[in-house]
Amino acid sequence: MSKSISLRGQMAAMSAPSVIFTVGMIAFPFFYTIWLSFQTMSATGTIRYTGAANYVRMVSDDQFWNGLTITAALYFLSLVMQLICGTALALLLFRAKKLPGIVRSLFISPFMMPPVVAGMMWLVILDPSLGAANYILTSFGLPPSEWLASPGFVVPTLALIDTWQWTPYVALIVLGGLQSLPPSVYEAAEIDGASKFKTLYRITLPLLLPTLVTAAVLRSVDLLRFFDLIYITTQGGPANASSTLNIYGFRTGFEFFQLGYASALMVTLSVIVFGAVLVLNRLRTAVAW
Amino acid sequence: MTDLASNDRWFSRLNTLLLILAGIIVITPTAWMVLSSFKQSFEVTAYPPTLFFSPTLDNYRSLSDTTPFPQYALNSMIVTVGSTSLGLLLGAPAAFVASWTRITWPAVVTLVARMAPGTLFLLPWYLMFRQFDMIGSYWALILTHAVITMPIVIWVLLPFFDNIPRSVYEAAQVDGCSPFRIFYRIALPLVSSGLAVSAILAFVFSWNYFLFSLVLSNSDTKTLIAASFNFIGEGSTNWGGLMAAATLIALPPLILATIVQRWLISGLTLGAVKG
Repeated sequence: MSKSISLRGQMAAMSAPSVIFTVGMIAFPFFYTIWLSFQTMSATGTIRYTGAANYVRMVSDDQFWNGLTITAALYFLSLVMQLICGTALALLLFRAKKLPGIVRSLFISPFMMPPVVAGMMWLVILDPSLGAANYILTSFGLPPSEWLASPGFVVPTLALIDTWQWTPYVALIVLGGLQSLPPSVYEAAEIDGASKFKTLYRITLPLLLPTLVTAAVLRSVDLLRFFDLIYITTQGGPANASSTLNIYGFRTGFEFFQLGYASALMVTLSVIVFGAVLVLNRLRTAVAW
Repeated sequence: MTDLASNDRWFSRLNTLLLILAGIIVITPTAWMVLSSFKQSFEVTAYPPTLFFSPTLDNYRSLSDTTPFPQYALNSMIVTVGSTSLGLLLGAPAAFVASWTRITWPAVVTLVARMAPGTLFLLPWYLMFRQFDMIGSYWALILTHAVITMPIVIWVLLPFFDNIPRSVYEAAQVDGCSPFRIFYRIALPLVSSGLAVSAILAFVFSWNYFLFSLVLSNSDTKTLIAASFNFIGEGSTNWGGLMAAATLIALPPLILATIVQRWLISGLTLGAVKG
């Protein structure tokens, strides 16, 4: 009896520090932000309960809708490109069988470098007047682009940079999925005389679906709260053309110090992230085999 | 039959060719960054851009003269090592207990921190740390970065602990070993490779993290990543210096990632994918 108590006691003692830390640094701030989203801070710094006023304000706030649209555009554009390119790259890597360690290091380098460094590097490459990208375009007779400085093209440009950075990551996840497929299905397809493309569309890709959804979940979490790269390269500009919800919420809180409204924006964004994860997880169980 | 075989050969040649092309696309931007960091100031903004030039270390040398780069690097080190250690200290016993008792919901709660936008926590943290007059302190940065590192440690270590056969624990218990002793005398040594992987991943993610130190640091405690924002402002006239800074900042995570590449994907996906 006393032994089982001491067992439980020691278990509790070992997990206590992490539980205390989680409560203090994660759970408390989490609920505090939700509480704050129902308050308004006056100019004198006093906090006052205002009910759902912050959420009502959101509905008629053009900047909010702008942020939501940009978040969605950036999300879908990047996710689709990364899944397509990542799957293609994974199939190439899978066929190559043996991968020297140096090749693997090469492919992990984009997504292990800080997003901030990726931003610095692409700022220089995509500079409208002196950048290497425009030099390459013009030497092929194509018109130069303003890239990140163009309100119309900044979102696709950010999506391209993110795709460059994260395609190898998606590829390595999909590669893991490919390697875990039972070889017997391929052998059966080969015996039946199925062509390579037929095998790919009818057998490999359907079997890969759960892995693809897993990759989509992991990327969705990052893509919906897209921040670092934007803050480093454009800070949401030009003319708010890359002001995602996360950027808008951050600026509302830390540049305009509207803590209540910023909290409401952050809560909304979190609901979107958790909602996307839940929906995709449902999808994953639906396509599991 | 021979037709099929030659068809196959062409297929694998095309495969190799496409793979090389993909490799070139992946590496070119990074190579351009490194190359530019060795260019003279007049050459780095030359148009058309030059591929061949006489390399110089001037950009690296002048980093410490024109910016507090060494101070920022030291700050990054303090915050990263501090938050990685804290993450291990909190996360390793938590993962052990979760694996032993099969109670994983506390670990799932920490995933909230991994999924929610960092900005969600930042406002309350800001108010909290201001209350305790800790804005700009190393401790504020270490504590907030541990919110990144602890879930990584827990989720990377969980499968390692799960792999220890229960009979090992039972035998130790029969010998009168307390759970705490079992943890640090038996379980920890058995998961030493897991500890290394989780420490390295935690280090990389803490090092790379931008948002928290952007808000919670001051000019004395600013990390390299947060200082990058200033480098860009100054770098509009000095691309060579900017690229030298970028190269140096990217170096530690890239080297460490290479070491753990075997466990990288399962670690990054927090066990969702076996890579």
